[in-house]
Amino acid sequence: MAKALIWGFKDRTFLIGMSVSIQRITIGYLISLVLGIGLGFLVGRFKILDETIGSLISGLQVLPSICWLPLAILWFGLNEQAIQFVIIMGAFLSIAIATESGIRNIPPIYLRAARTMGIKGIDLYTRVVFPAALPSIATGMKLGWSFAWRSLMAGELLFVSIGLGHLLQTGRELNDMPQVIAVMVVIVLIGLIFDQLLFSQLEKRLRSRWGMTT
Amino acid sequence: MKLKRSLKQKKINMRLSIEKVSKNFTAQHGKVLALDEISIQIKEGEFICFVGPSGCGKTTLLNMVAGLETPTKGVVRQSGEEIKIPSSDRVVIFQEAALFPWLNVIQNVEFGLVRRMNVRKRREISRTFLNLVHLGRFENAYVHQLSGGMKSRVAIARALALNPSILLMDEPFAALDAQTRDILHEEIEEIWFQTKQTIVFVTHNVREAVRLGDRVFVFTARPGRIKKEFQIDLPRPRDTNSESVVLYAKLIQQELREEIEKFLKEEVDRDWSLKKANLLRPAGIDLGSGI
Repeated sequence: MAKALIWGFKDRTFLIGMSVSIQRITIGYLISLVLGIGLGFLVGRFKILDETIGSLISGLQVLPSICWLPLAILWFGLNEQAIQFVIIMGAFLSIAIATESGIRNIPPIYLRAARTMGIKGIDLYTRVVFPAALPSIATGMKLGWSFAWRSLMAGELLFVSIGLGHLLQTGRELNDMPQVIAVMVVIVLIGLIFDQLLFSQLEKRLRSRWGMTT
Repeated sequence: MKLKRSLKQKKINMRLSIEKVSKNFTAQHGKVLALDEISIQIKEGEFICFVGPSGCGKTTLLNMVAGLETPTKGVVRQSGEEIKIPSSDRVVIFQEAALFPWLNVIQNVEFGLVRRMNVRKRREISRTFLNLVHLGRFENAYVHQLSGGMKSRVAIARALALNPSILLMDEPFAALDAQTRDILHEEIEEIWFQTKQTIVFVTHNVREAVRLGDRVFVFTARPGRIKKEFQIDLPRPRDTNSESVVLYAKLIQQELREEIEKFLKEEVDRDWSLKKANLLRPAGIDLGSGI
């Protein structure tokens, strides 16, 4: 297996697979961030949206994102967009839910303190609501990233493309157990690196600065 | 004609007037009357204290002066103009200090100034007020690194930086220990001497009210009404532990006591009462004081 791992890196198939997968997830994840934070803000702000689509959001979140793939293929065909769609559907709902709960749980005293200092309108959102909800948004980002990574792998497994998931699939087709395991290790490592080095650190820093460490 | 003019002038000088203000809340079991036709006239530069049992609506009244809540009936006017929305001319200091943890101390102090002036000017103003509350050294500290007393100081500096003509304080020192509170009383009195702002101070601590206020209003239990108004004619600076302060406090406490008992009867069993004669205590500890 170790040999397969070294070989994979030597003949650059792993590197290509990694770069393709990481590129995909970066795009999909960034779109999910924008959509998720945007939707979370709207639902957290307008009660009517919460009452109408609030339960829909949490309902859809239960659906494993790979179940969107058939729909995506029908809509977009067998291409990049379909796989991006699957990533976004996997990640953005959990980001939206975390953002919304972050906004809902802002201590009302912050808003009152800001209003008494004459802050209103957009300023109230950019200078108080958003920073106050930031630790919760960071939690959502972390969760969203791991969902996005899983969705991407599932998507790549199921349809032909040059990602890491596809390498798994070819390994199976060639009956090459070491390669399959080696690719799995790579997938786990990338997931861990992002999760631990980036998102957990971010979350931890925010929480301690916000005085939320217990 | 002349009389009318002088009346008008009087109204302008009257900085803050609370006119027959009532407030209803909708609770689970119907409407609750929280405040019942309260009228108070406050002169410019006066230090006013509200005391009352919890839930009597004194904080609600303060919020209405701030513009954070609107009266169900009646109006609150500042210099003759009806107060409808919050304004940086009437800043509230809350019990929890309510500092923003994502900003450091100096950024908190300049929070209300951000859109009004450039960085250099607002830094300068913020530093002045931070020095006034003796926290100049801590301008780069973060909120979670501060003690309760320091948070209160930052909150005071943050409010003062906006140069409001009315300062509204909602039990700002309630969570602090007695020693810190004593010192902050002295400092807030000193600041008030310097700035000559109108201060409305809500507390349930009677001595604090007497220590600080020109006038003290005692509220009744719900629905909140003004039970009695006390003019505190004591020279300043005052001492919380001086005899005259304690004497006034005792008078006010008697008024308040009735209301607190009323409130307690609603909260605990109706047959609740506390009679001194019922308290058993060993005579030896009295050292004959009961004679």
